[in-house]
Amino acid sequence: MIKVGIPRALLYYQYYPMWKTFFEELGAEVVVSPPTTQAILSSGSSRVVAETCLPVKAFCGHVLALAGECDYLFIPAIRSVKSRIYNCSKFLGLPDMTKAVTPESPPILDIDIDINQGKRELYQAIYKLGRRFTWNPLKVRQAAIAAWQAHLKYMQLMSDQDLNPLQAIERISNTTEVEPETPPDNPTPPQATIALIGHPYLLYDEHINHRLIHRLEKAHYKVLTPEMLTAEELESATARLVGGAYWTYEEEVVGAGGHYLESGADGVIGIMAFGCGPDSLMMDIVHRRAARLRTTPFMSLTLEEHTAEAGVATRLEAFLDMIQRRKRRQAEVCV
Amino acid sequence: MRIGMPHMGNLYIPFKALFQRLNIDFVIPPVNNQRTLSLGVRYSPEGMCIPFKLTMGNLIEAAELGADTLLMPAGSGICRLGYYAKTQEHILHDLGYDAEIVCLGVSSQRKLFGLLEMIKRLSNNAPWAKIISAFRFGLAKLNAMDRIERVVQKARPVEQVKGTANRLFAQAIKAIDQADDYGTLKRVQRDYLDQLNQATRNGNTQPLIVGITGEFYVLLEPFSNLDVEKELGKLGVEVRRTTFISEWTKFSLFLNPLGMNEKDRIHKAALPYLKRDIGGDGWESVGEKVLHAKEYDGLIHLAPFTCMPEIVAQNIMPSTKENIPVLTILCDEQLGKPGMLTRLEAFVDLLKHRRRAKVKT
Repeated sequence: MIKVGIPRALLYYQYYPMWKTFFEELGAEVVVSPPTTQAILSSGSSRVVAETCLPVKAFCGHVLALAGECDYLFIPAIRSVKSRIYNCSKFLGLPDMTKAVTPESPPILDIDIDINQGKRELYQAIYKLGRRFTWNPLKVRQAAIAAWQAHLKYMQLMSDQDLNPLQAIERISNTTEVEPETPPDNPTPPQATIALIGHPYLLYDEHINHRLIHRLEKAHYKVLTPEMLTAEELESATARLVGGAYWTYEEEVVGAGGHYLESGADGVIGIMAFGCGPDSLMMDIVHRRAARLRTTPFMSLTLEEHTAEAGVATRLEAFLDMIQRRKRRQAEVCV
Repeated sequence: MRIGMPHMGNLYIPFKALFQRLNIDFVIPPVNNQRTLSLGVRYSPEGMCIPFKLTMGNLIEAAELGADTLLMPAGSGICRLGYYAKTQEHILHDLGYDAEIVCLGVSSQRKLFGLLEMIKRLSNNAPWAKIISAFRFGLAKLNAMDRIERVVQKARPVEQVKGTANRLFAQAIKAIDQADDYGTLKRVQRDYLDQLNQATRNGNTQPLIVGITGEFYVLLEPFSNLDVEKELGKLGVEVRRTTFISEWTKFSLFLNPLGMNEKDRIHKAALPYLKRDIGGDGWESVGEKVLHAKEYDGLIHLAPFTCMPEIVAQNIMPSTKENIPVLTILCDEQLGKPGMLTRLEAFVDLLKHRRRAKVKT
């Protein structure tokens, strides 16, 4: 059986169920790299130039972790998934860059996804990818349709049940149907609601963000993430802030930021990677919005490999203290 | 309505000619200086690249001079450049300037018409004949400047008296700026080309040849790269650069729509290492290394700090089979002249050694 490796980094969090279904339908086995560790991150950082952003460094580490474990690596070059909205250069150059910096990696399956070239090109690209596994075009078609269904189901699951990608992926991988758990009778209601905005590969990589979600939940805060909003909510918030998206993954920052600053959260935390081109602009837009609205406190955390756990913890504590004070004061005013 | 626009090299000269001929009210912000940079750094998001920060400074200085319509390049499918205008407008408004940013599409298919239509709008509906004649005159100035600059690049390492080429270049730019008809322009161009030729040493010294490639803005704005070309000239190196604004205009305005692309050759060279366009000039940087590896002694790769396409290019470059020394210089507000000079000197020394070794074998 052919083994296809998928690094647990970057777009894994968005598209894993889709990719997994596609390759499994074609009779391949899918191997995923283990969650990020310091060793993975360090091995990745040692291969690329220092200015490269943190998530790409982590990605290279995951590729190295998969070397020798699989026959092919799947690294798509996603240029555009919506008309006239393009992706960051690093995603476009990812297959070629990986090949250049990790010569020991298995052969790379790359595919150009660019919706602006028309559907025909897209289908041809998918077909070309599938041909590596089967001669039968109908089987590729079936696999692609099943993959798309899996993706829709995944998205639906996250927005319907307020799950984050990690929980949703776990739910999908468990083959036995699990009853939706009834919320336990929580004696202490959450202290407040904190919205995290940013790309999934930063929010859900616990090593990179120093277990931010875990920290918030442990302190009894309800955590909201961009995936919990519907596509319409994200789109309309993006339109209000910047008129329309320019980057492929703009909505999870600008859209989610705009939405949560206006309603639904007591505080918003923006998470970005140092050296991230698109984020440096998008976070600034959200920041300016927060400063203008003056309704919801906003903090942005910039992550890189030198970010110390203590630093993150301190800033988080200070931010949460401030939110507590605000809530108390508001309550006093109401009385 | 008063127009202002950011600087990039001497690009303000052709625009000035164009606006003057069409009686458009405009201001030219001070050429890039320390204040521009400080203003830009102060009001830009910290992670932005140097082209954003400098153009931000230019826009603020233009707004200070009363400009209310600011021109900025924009488009989709390129790098962050497409998002500049949006963000810069937010920043200007937060600073209290009520200026509108007009976008010059640099990625759209109909660049020439888009540009001409925009000029028509700015010039209050001047007749087309007048617009086209003014546009042609602007282009003529642009071409004259670039023609002289090419000769200056060749003359710097072989001039008889150090500094002559740079002095003549500065004078020529000034004279071109002042020329107001085709005749004068032609005479100025011929004059300075002659003077430059006379200033060079005869004989068959063969200076080191260093190619210079990278991101468009830092290549063409000497303030952002701390005059790297002049410094290389002082070290006795001939600089070769394929990126010139006149070339870019010629191709992207006139020849690309006809299906001719000057970059095809470069892209083809890059294919084995980078299969697709990654926005910005990343593809070209890799291609130029591969293409010119035999021709040049070394290559200087200029990139703004945090530039996405150039980081990808920088990661890919060392893995090419075509081997040539590459020095990557990241340009940002922290780049200091002594540091850069030390690196250039070391690089040139390395190239000299290599050439000597080659001659011996």
